[in-house]
Amino acid sequence: MPLDTSTYNLALLRVDGRRWNELRRINAQIRTQAAADGSSYLEMGHTKVMCVVTGPSEPGPRRGGVVGSAGGAGGGGGQSKDAEVVVNIVIAGFSSVDRKRRGRGDKRTLEMQSTVANALAASLHIHLFPHSQINVSLHVLSQDGSLLAALINAATLACVDAGIPMTDYVAACTAGSTSTYAANDESADPLLDMNHQEEQELPGLTVATMGDSDRVVALVCESRVQISRLEGMLVVGVDGCKQVREILDRVVREKGRRMIDEGTVEKGTGLNDMDVD
Amino acid sequence: MPREVEPSLNEKQFVLQALQENLRLDGREIDQYRPLELTFGDQYGVADVTLGKTRVLAKASAEVTVPYTDRPLDGIFTIATELSPMTSPAFELNRPTETEVLLSRLLEKTVRRSNALDTESLCLIAGQKCWSVRVDVHVLSHDGNLIDAACFAVVAALRHFRKPDTSMEGGVLTVYTPAEREPVPLSWLHSPFCITWSFFGDQGEIALLDATWVEEQIRVASCTISLNRHGEICQIAKLGGTPVDAVALLQCSGVALTKAKEFSTYLDGKLAEDTKKRNKGGLLAELSAENDR
Repeated sequence: MPLDTSTYNLALLRVDGRRWNELRRINAQIRTQAAADGSSYLEMGHTKVMCVVTGPSEPGPRRGGVVGSAGGAGGGGGQSKDAEVVVNIVIAGFSSVDRKRRGRGDKRTLEMQSTVANALAASLHIHLFPHSQINVSLHVLSQDGSLLAALINAATLACVDAGIPMTDYVAACTAGSTSTYAANDESADPLLDMNHQEEQELPGLTVATMGDSDRVVALVCESRVQISRLEGMLVVGVDGCKQVREILDRVVREKGRRMIDEGTVEKGTGLNDMDVD
Repeated sequence: MPREVEPSLNEKQFVLQALQENLRLDGREIDQYRPLELTFGDQYGVADVTLGKTRVLAKASAEVTVPYTDRPLDGIFTIATELSPMTSPAFELNRPTETEVLLSRLLEKTVRRSNALDTESLCLIAGQKCWSVRVDVHVLSHDGNLIDAACFAVVAALRHFRKPDTSMEGGVLTVYTPAEREPVPLSWLHSPFCITWSFFGDQGEIALLDATWVEEQIRVASCTISLNRHGEICQIAKLGGTPVDAVALLQCSGVALTKAKEFSTYLDGKLAEDTKKRNKGGLLAELSAENDR
């Protein structure tokens, strides 16, 4: 392994100088593209993601080409009684260090697309929009760990911006554990929000929760880890998701306040009880 | 693209209502698997797994090839999954559906990325020759819980598989036929098994193991946990769906560990049985000069 994380035990500081329970800086904006129904830009540390949401709209010709097929809950074709969430992820060639070219059929990307789509569908009220399609397209501009978490957060923000009714924010973050699976020591500390270096070397998982609750929408672990570590990692991850949710909420409220100040929107009656300013 | 027929509204309600009362259509317990059956083929590396009406065939094979240039010291190990129209009319050839992509990704993560097979041992001459081990997974019949059955079949096939013995003398590589030298097993590090939980109800409060196809069509979320008998998690995938309480997920992982241990003992037993069958009387019988007169 190229990187030596064994120094963690000396100062309890991670490679980038964080403590175990610190998130990286999250910077987010919504309504970044004027033409789109909803859009967002999110940075988690050096991971940078852009999201554009179109819809709910009539299904495009690409997927709705088959006419007369029976309606199904998960199926395409816009014949279903629920709106279909279609996610498309584009990972830019310049986003990581090694400039690897990923084709359209890359299974890892396809898996992430389906994860983001299913996680969003859990929160969005898709039953309100029958025979329609919500298009979410995500662009990865820079990768530095916690990619899936950043994608889910950006997609949530963009859906909020698009004004699609949803239960709550789907907030995601990663959690890891110091020392690799081979070292079976009980003193291993959980880590919050892993960067690329830590992801390469340490076991970790991505958690997405529904709003403020402890309820897990998505849980993805791709590394070998002792089952006894799972609990610690999950607790830290869920706690991190709550912090992320606060940050996302602040971004949305901040944007709303600014829009009222600018006079882009009228201050509605329901907004009186909201802390505007 | 033909679509799978969905269960009718009545059928859905019936199954759900029964589940609320802790009953399953086939009378199983909530955490009970359907009878798992494993048969090995006459050849090495063929495993046929039936789990209720789900049937998966896995075949391992090996050939000598050139290693990838960026990994000159590693052998090649691939898992190929194929869902043919024979399984269900919803599957088409050469057009991977979401099910197929997720299945192959899960197998990849469970078996390949967890280093169950030591790929370095497949290297013959660094940068020039290596073994390429390939497992083909054929789904013969699909009645739910494809993932667990397929993963079990892959692990069983690989552990049963024997590759031809080789030797290096003075820079010359010799690959021996089975008649010349007994084929050797792969260098296997640990056996991971997939255990899939399906969740039902508005809050995902009902958790089932080994869902049948009808149950799978109705479930609101699923979570696949892969672990080996040492309690090492190789992979967890709850890819969206209705949110489930974190504590419930932890409990699920605990039960999954006991199931993985059961699978492991079952597979070890079957392998031992098969070795015994192939090797009648053992080495002593082979070396004996006695003849029946």
